[in-house]
Amino acid sequence: MKNQIYLDHNATVPLLKEVKKSLIDCMDFGPLNASSIHYYGRKGKDIIEVARANISQLINANKNNIIFTSSATEAINLLFSNFETIIVSSIEHLAVLYSSKSDHIIPVNQDGIVDLNFLELYLKKIFKNNKKILVSVMWVNNETGVIQPIKDIVNIAKKFQCLTHCDAAQALGKININLDEIELDFLTLSGHKIGAPTGVGALVYNNKTNITPQILGGGQEKGMRAGTENILGIRGFGEAARLMGMRKETNCSQVKFLRDFIQKKIKKISPETIIFGEKTKRVANTLLMALPKIPGDLALMKLDLESFSVSSGSACSSGKISQSHVVSAMGYDELASNSVRISFPPNDFILNSENLITTQELDKLAQSWSNL
Amino acid sequence: MININQVINEMDLEGNPSNHRVVVAMSGGVDSSVTAALLVEAGYNVVGLTMQLYDYGKALKKKGACCAGSDINDARLVSSRLGIPHYVLNYESVFQDQVINDFVDSYLRGETPIPCVRCNQTVKFTDMFSRAKKLGASALATGHYIRRKNQSGNLSLHTGKDLSKDQSYFLFATTKKQLNFVRFPLGFLTKEETRSIAKRHELNVADKPDSQDICFVPEGKYADVVRKLRPNSVDRGDIVDVNGNVIGKHNGIIDFTIGQRKGIGVGGRKGVDDSNSILYVIALDTKKNNVIVGPKEFLSCNKIKISECNWIIDLPQKSKFKVLVKLRNSSEPVIGTIKANFDFSFVFLYFDEPQYGVSTGQAAVFYNIKKRSHVLGGGWITEAPNKLADNNIINA
Repeated sequence: MKNQIYLDHNATVPLLKEVKKSLIDCMDFGPLNASSIHYYGRKGKDIIEVARANISQLINANKNNIIFTSSATEAINLLFSNFETIIVSSIEHLAVLYSSKSDHIIPVNQDGIVDLNFLELYLKKIFKNNKKILVSVMWVNNETGVIQPIKDIVNIAKKFQCLTHCDAAQALGKININLDEIELDFLTLSGHKIGAPTGVGALVYNNKTNITPQILGGGQEKGMRAGTENILGIRGFGEAARLMGMRKETNCSQVKFLRDFIQKKIKKISPETIIFGEKTKRVANTLLMALPKIPGDLALMKLDLESFSVSSGSACSSGKISQSHVVSAMGYDELASNSVRISFPPNDFILNSENLITTQELDKLAQSWSNL
Repeated sequence: MININQVINEMDLEGNPSNHRVVVAMSGGVDSSVTAALLVEAGYNVVGLTMQLYDYGKALKKKGACCAGSDINDARLVSSRLGIPHYVLNYESVFQDQVINDFVDSYLRGETPIPCVRCNQTVKFTDMFSRAKKLGASALATGHYIRRKNQSGNLSLHTGKDLSKDQSYFLFATTKKQLNFVRFPLGFLTKEETRSIAKRHELNVADKPDSQDICFVPEGKYADVVRKLRPNSVDRGDIVDVNGNVIGKHNGIIDFTIGQRKGIGVGGRKGVDDSNSILYVIALDTKKNNVIVGPKEFLSCNKIKISECNWIIDLPQKSKFKVLVKLRNSSEPVIGTIKANFDFSFVFLYFDEPQYGVSTGQAAVFYNIKKRSHVLGGGWITEAPNKLADNNIINA
């Protein structure tokens, strides 16, 4: 195995070793179907409820209002199937853009921040004719790392009696999420973005709304999502959430140091590089950039062949790289095929639990970038 | 069992194979998969590239099915088996502009296009070349059955050892400059040998059938593609005989090709039982939207014009010379005499024996009259007047 430098944590975070241990314990325990009445069934149920409690603690949500799904994408699809009118921002993840099938798109400015004035005027225009509107804006953009003004968005939506959903897949583990402070109606999460295994997500909801399930069957997850629970995934998600919650504040200063180091280096030796969202509030681990003359897929291939695992635009399941709708939405149409994303571990805890990334490696990366 | 040194010889790269990065154009078929396998075996630093040429989801009318054609997946599985990096290049818009649209326009002009040559010319041998070079490769290898020879710096192109699989017809547009960079390691193998190498490497594509159709045309129904892309360009019209008499109706001239005999929709003349009773498509009159049918003799063609010629040899001293010429991939070459214009960019070709069913839009590929394996070059058939032209029904 070559010594690959992994810098694509916004895609997925390596399984944390504590999480791995919790999974092995779980596998060693025995047959765990949480629906069974007997001893093993009760154990299974306990594991799920502990996970729910861990996640609820991490984000200050009511633990009775969290259900597990196979992914954040599934949680979003489940939620959206309950709404006819959904208002989304132009930079949402494809899970939101495609499953909402929405024509109500709120633009962003050149820094990649949702246009609040536009949102307000738009809601004013349409809210009278629509009973049940859902406003869905992500907390942190997966490509740029730009943090959205969720509190303001919720306040505007409330003025027009709209419900709100936030895709927080990229926020969890990177910034503090406190649902006590922000009155969101729905939040969706993904386990593998904080070091749990892939294949588990969650929908957090408020008390007021009834959700009609998409998957029918044995009535698991309070009747909202049937199918025997992915107990390993849920256990892993819960354990990862517990680890994230052990620290009061999400500390990212070391991560920020590394990101700022490479950003500075690249700007110095390759000054024609454009850095997206540089002048606004971004999470500490993400750097989205582009060279005007180098297609993103070429950059990605060359960096990969030089042992750097980074990402470009939004790659689809075939491996084909499409234009970045996020970069386009920010008004950089001509760079939409050129963007390359470097993403460090979400926080210092995860950074320190992995093989450390050294500044020498980042020097080499900056050099490779300037040689593209 | 093949000798791996033969692969290294075919590769014609100086020094140790491990010092060379070689990009393999991988389609997901057995040929390009074996190309990659042999180069890995020979010790080259191999990178696989696959081109995504169109949205497979859209082609199959599956909404929201984001691409992921099974051929791309096969290429990926083979690469993973061989332990080489593999990337997918998105050439959808280039392919649409330069290959599919050209194909459709050509049909609407009453021609019979070969998009695979256009694809080799535009997408594979230009874009793929430049990408391979940018990735620092010493060469781009493909799985074509064709041979490249280097005789003390003089590069030439030859038919593959397996003549039944020879692909020189599709690669006539390869330039001398491109020959510097491209390699065809399968040129000295037969298809059976290729398959047995695939089995030896336990590649999942070892028994995958050869592709028959044009890749973006499902089930070979090319007319459906034309109708889908240009719904307003296909009109019903008349089927007329060589004297201009209307003898039937058609649903669009795109359903017909010159020389076609079956499925014309009008029977032979009743009560006449000789070879003249069988009707062929003689010409497609795009101006009047007519399909002209008649007996085989009207297809006879003595001379064609070939344009956009590409020569893979130093231009001959004489502008008039004999060649073997292939007018279709599947047919044997015939003898003809070339008369070239001053810079050999177009030529007239006079057949020794009249040819039947020659269609514009197809390629004409030249081979050395004394050495049938040597590819001289080729071009596109732009004029192929048959006996009907004398009757002057078209262009009247």
